Amino acid sequence: MNLFNILFYSIALLIVVSTGLAVTRRNLVHAVIYLIMSFFGSAFVFYLFGAPFLAALMVIVYAGAIMILFLFIIMMLRVETPEEQLFPARQMWPAVAVAAGYLVVGALLAAHDPAAGAVLGPAQTEPAVFGAYVFRNTWLAVEVTSLLLLVALIGALFIGKRPTHESEE
Amino acid sequence: MTYPAAADLTLTAAIAATALPLAAFAVILLLTRGFPRLSAALSIAAISVALVCAGLLLVRHGHLETPLEYSTLWMAGGDIVVRVGFLIDPLSLLMLMIVAVICFLVQVYSLGYMAGDPGFARYYAFMSLFAWAMMNLTLAASLLQLYIFWELVGLSSYLLIGFWYEKFSASEAGKKAFVMTRLGDVAFFIGILLVLLNFGNLSILELNSPRAGFLPPAVVTVSALLIFGGIVGKSAQFPLLTWLPDAMEGPTPVSALLHSATMVAAGVYLLARLFPFFSMSPAALQVCLAVGAVSMLLSATMAMVSRDIKQVWAYSTISQLGLMIMGLAAGDYVAGVFHLTTHAGFKALLFLCAGVFIHACGGNDMFEIGRRGARHLKIPMICMIIAAAALSGVPPLSGFFSKELILAALAGRPSPIWLAAGLLGAFLTTYYTFRLIFIILFPRGEAQAKDAHADGHNSEAGYRVMAAPLIVLAAVTGVLGFGGHALGRFLLQGFPGPVPGAGHPTWLPFAALGATAAAVGLAWFEFGRRGADQVGFVERVEPLRELFRRRWYIDDAYRWLLDHVLYRVFSAFCAKNDQKVIDGAVDGLGGSMAAAGRILAVLHTGSVQFRLLVVSVVLILLGLYYFVYPLN
Amino acid sequence: MAGIPFGHVLALSGILVALGVACATARRNLIMILLGVEIMLNGASIAFAAAALRWQQLEGQAFVLFIIAIAAAEVSVGLALIVHLYHRTGSLDPEKFNMLK
Repeated sequence: MNLFNILFYSIALLIVVSTGLAVTRRNLVHAVIYLIMSFFGSAFVFYLFGAPFLAALMVIVYAGAIMILFLFIIMMLRVETPEEQLFPARQMWPAVAVAAGYLVVGALLAAHDPAAGAVLGPAQTEPAVFGAYVFRNTWLAVEVTSLLLLVALIGALFIGKRPTHESEE
Repeated sequence: MTYPAAADLTLTAAIAATALPLAAFAVILLLTRGFPRLSAALSIAAISVALVCAGLLLVRHGHLETPLEYSTLWMAGGDIVVRVGFLIDPLSLLMLMIVAVICFLVQVYSLGYMAGDPGFARYYAFMSLFAWAMMNLTLAASLLQLYIFWELVGLSSYLLIGFWYEKFSASEAGKKAFVMTRLGDVAFFIGILLVLLNFGNLSILELNSPRAGFLPPAVVTVSALLIFGGIVGKSAQFPLLTWLPDAMEGPTPVSALLHSATMVAAGVYLLARLFPFFSMSPAALQVCLAVGAVSMLLSATMAMVSRDIKQVWAYSTISQLGLMIMGLAAGDYVAGVFHLTTHAGFKALLFLCAGVFIHACGGNDMFEIGRRGARHLKIPMICMIIAAAALSGVPPLSGFFSKELILAALAGRPSPIWLAAGLLGAFLTTYYTFRLIFIILFPRGEAQAKDAHADGHNSEAGYRVMAAPLIVLAAVTGVLGFGGHALGRFLLQGFPGPVPGAGHPTWLPFAALGATAAAVGLAWFEFGRRGADQVGFVERVEPLRELFRRRWYIDDAYRWLLDHVLYRVFSAFCAKNDQKVIDGAVDGLGGSMAAAGRILAVLHTGSVQFRLLVVSVVLILLGLYYFVYPLN
Repeated sequence: MAGIPFGHVLALSGILVALGVACATARRNLIMILLGVEIMLNGASIAFAAAALRWQQLEGQAFVLFIIAIAAAEVSVGLALIVHLYHRTGSLDPEKFNMLK
């Protein structure tokens, strides 16, 4: 057990626990806070996997921007959800069964897949190398994504407008 | 097939002859229905041009060494090739001429007969339709093409029999004719398919060529018999003979054209057309011979007790068609075709004369016609006697020569029974013919002589229009018989089949003449002589009379079959099948769909998340499938 | 031993995706549905990053980059929709939005 392994497993535990807590919180603000913790953990995992640039992006964009946006919206809407009910059991049990099957098969895969046995060691990708790769090999996807972001911006602006009197009825 | 230099004119004439009546039909139905005279003019113009073309073709190809075929590919699939086109050989030219002449004369005659009928334009439209179909049937180069027009002829027959569709019996008769001929046509069609499957070709020339001799004999026999089924239906032979007497519900010119001279003769024509093919199967010919003989005798007996003038001629038509089939089946191609030709002339004449009487006297009953003084209508009466004499085989009229040939052919058969049947048929034919003539000539009971004449005066122009075709036909009947040898030579040009031997026993004409004379004498004794009570010897025997009048109970047999077999068993089975199986299947399908929809509707709760859940479940299951499958 | 088996990373991302699905389908709150989607995307991202390391290919990391970008776009539109819906109905309960039923 070296440091790399210890770090990964403890971070993985942190991610799973905080995500589990986030999913089960009644209070939305708490849920978002736990999720931010989870995303910090993910960022650390990215760093462990040799992607410091992605780790930085994860912290800045996901934890820093997206989650704060969530928080902002939650506080703006001031939603109180004290009596949240779950689905009736009749509708839940197929989902539970499928989820169980999913987990079993996932475990089987993790145990039997030859690729799963490959060991990941510490590595490092320079952000400059990564940037050059992205803009050389996937420039079209970058352009498309930027266009998508522009569309999302316009769409969000349009949808987020307060409904006028005509559109309300 | 190489085309001679004159091919173009021939082809043009053939196309004109076969296409113009169709054009007339279309124009009348679409444009000129409201103008009866214009419609009649159009129809008659079309048939006149067709007549001229037919004459032209006949003159042009009077010395045709080999049959001409103009054909084009219609369908080809695998080994199967179907061509359409015109087949011009002596037989088709002769038949074309007969059809054109009779069509033309009958259409002219109809000007007088149908005058004032509300459906005048429609009548001429149907007549044109018939002319078109019949001419194409005559010139058809392949069996399939022939079959198509065969059915079209049946259609026009149906339309014309039921022409007075307001009359229940007429529309019933039309349906009966349609259904009964269709029974035969089904067999015919199966026969065509059999030929197509085994021979891969439907060309009539090919079928008649020696190449067809390589077919297995059983196939030839079966397909020939099936095709003969179509002939039985169309020519009203036993056992499908009862539709023809009922078809007399149609207008008399229609009976003259379709149901005596041309359409019903199409069956005999087909037999002659495929004569070399049929000759390859002695068994099939034997069946044809038997069917012809039975039909001839049965219908002759039916004619002996009928009081309806048109029905007598209808039975007589069946009988004569049977005789033609016997002649052909006995192996004498010329005799059958010759009798077809002469019969077309005199039988059309008989019907047209009957039409004049019916028109003048307003009824079909021969006693009534006699009482109304039909004998004062000189032209039709004389023409009718000429035609009747021809039908009976009195020399020197046309019927004598053609019947003589057939009897000679029958005499050539090993078994004497066929000749005996032929002679008996000739005797009966003469008997019922002269029975009718004497009844009309020498009416009993109170005479209402002036009636008919008065009627005749009322429509003098119509009478004259009707008389003209009669005179033409009577003249033809008088002289046609002497053309027998020429006709025989003409027909046998390039004929691929076996040429019949010409010799026949010298006593035969005398025997036939003796039978005719005896029959005339008997008829005179019972109906003609002063003081005769006009009751035939058959009519004295009650069961016999009943048997003949009920047409040997053939219709009753059909009725029984329909009621007990078709309706009780077959229809009931079909109805049950329909209700239980088909309805059940359809209802079940619909019901199960609805039930499945109801089950699936449970999934559609309207909840966004539930849909999301279903989507993820499906995705997970798909993932399981793709991952688990290689694992196992 | 040095390093982590690839299968363990996959198991981690699998658990995250399962949690995300559970969150998106079981919680009756529109915001939690969006959060669940984010969790799923996060799980996928971890798998991609691990795969990039496993096969020494930068495509995996590029994928993560695009996932983050798309998540940003999705969240902005999604939250705008949620705000809009809240203004219209005054509720965030997805069960209320069943007009298509």
